[in-house]
Amino acid sequence: MADNSNDPLALWQKMIGEMEKGFNTFANQAMASPQFSKVMNQAGGVTAGAQKQLGELMEKYLVSMNLPSRAQMIGMAERLQSIEGQLNEIKVLLLQMNAISGMTQDSVAAAPKPPRTRRPPPSPPGEQK
Amino acid sequence: MNAPAGLDLASIPDRIQSEVQRAIQRSIKGVEYFSTSGPSLGSTPKDILHVRGTMNLYHYRPVEDEIYRVPILIVMATTNRGYILDMVPGQSFIEFLLKRGYDVYMLDWAAPKPEEKGLRMEDYVLDFIPDCIRRVQQDSGETDVTVIGYCFGGVLSLLYGSIFADGPMKNLICFTTPIDFREMKLFQNFADKRYFDVDRLIDSVGNVPPEMILSSFEMLRPASRAASQVQLWENIWNDEFVKSYRMFDRWATDTLPLAGEYFRDITKDLMWDNKLYNGTMSVGGRLADIADIKVPILHAVAEHDHIVPYDAAKPLIAKVGSTDKEEVMLKGGHVSLVAGANAIRRLWPKLDSWLGGRSI
Repeated sequence: MADNSNDPLALWQKMIGEMEKGFNTFANQAMASPQFSKVMNQAGGVTAGAQKQLGELMEKYLVSMNLPSRAQMIGMAERLQSIEGQLNEIKVLLLQMNAISGMTQDSVAAAPKPPRTRRPPPSPPGEQK
Repeated sequence: MNAPAGLDLASIPDRIQSEVQRAIQRSIKGVEYFSTSGPSLGSTPKDILHVRGTMNLYHYRPVEDEIYRVPILIVMATTNRGYILDMVPGQSFIEFLLKRGYDVYMLDWAAPKPEEKGLRMEDYVLDFIPDCIRRVQQDSGETDVTVIGYCFGGVLSLLYGSIFADGPMKNLICFTTPIDFREMKLFQNFADKRYFDVDRLIDSVGNVPPEMILSSFEMLRPASRAASQVQLWENIWNDEFVKSYRMFDRWATDTLPLAGEYFRDITKDLMWDNKLYNGTMSVGGRLADIADIKVPILHAVAEHDHIVPYDAAKPLIAKVGSTDKEEVMLKGGHVSLVAGANAIRRLWPKLDSWLGGRSI
């Protein structure tokens, strides 16, 4: 095995690896304390609260500008989603009908399904599963 | 002047030449990196069998002339995309299963929309999974189904299997599935009941944003992202390294939001009360005790999993009621267990040899 003890690149890579490990261990220890949880969740709570207020403010602004409200956009998205869902259902039905009628097409999906008769290959002699 | 021990003076010119070439390659490939997209992921041919809100059910097209009788339904984790199991040809668990003659379906998740914030654990366990099972049965013409759950998909599969213990699940395979949530030490601390007001969070944001989920994963190893970027720069001349980096980085950052009420259920029932481990979990008013699961079960765990530590996953096999049960531990981490080089060499063949005889 080659001796990399003086290879600057190998030393650099080793140093990065050690630094990563050391920092992760140190950070994990710090994050395991109740104080960390308290500070993190206080900060998270403030952010979430601010986000909610901003959302409400934006909603009012959009209404005053005569732009579609969030509820209207969600309604449109729901309708699109429902259309998308129905299209998928139609596609699946068409593929099934195609397969049943035996029509040949390039689509692999319409090809007859392989038989479900496969069995696992025999184990080599002396081998236990 | 003597050379330090281990340093071969004769090799220095070659070494310098090689480093200069790599530096040039770094500059060229660095520009390429930012001007091109990564490899195309999740490209194994599939058909969308059903889409409903956050739920997507795919059927992968069989590639063998003869397949096993029992189809497989893969249940993905609700935080991540399913293409981790279908990266690129040669590194795709799905492709492997198809080539070994399995009929594969996947329940993959789309980001829940704001109006889906009310989805609860019972929607996933008592509606989405049973709906997919029914559709798999209908499409395959078979009653029995093997379920494979990845990470939290494993938790959902366990809950489903506990409640529907009389079938139609024939086999259950779990990858890195936590059941003792006390042992997820850092997540426990992040969600400390004394300081984490889950009600306030969900009432404020609706669905839990993906950035929050990603941050909580990254906080488990805060230095790793910076270190991996240094590694990328060092290896940017190496196309294979870059390809692999881009695949895993894209997947890891492609985190999904979580439906608000579902997250509230997870926090209260699993993180705080550890109900799955205690055998007191109920979903939609129905008791879900994993001791009721009697089907053959295989649990694959990773030795160096920093997201689901082994202690959190270990009790699964002891607690299920099955007599035909096995745990397999492999070297590697949470993701490399299912998609890394070790997965290709060890986990996938192991899974095939376990499942083949149970799929006829």
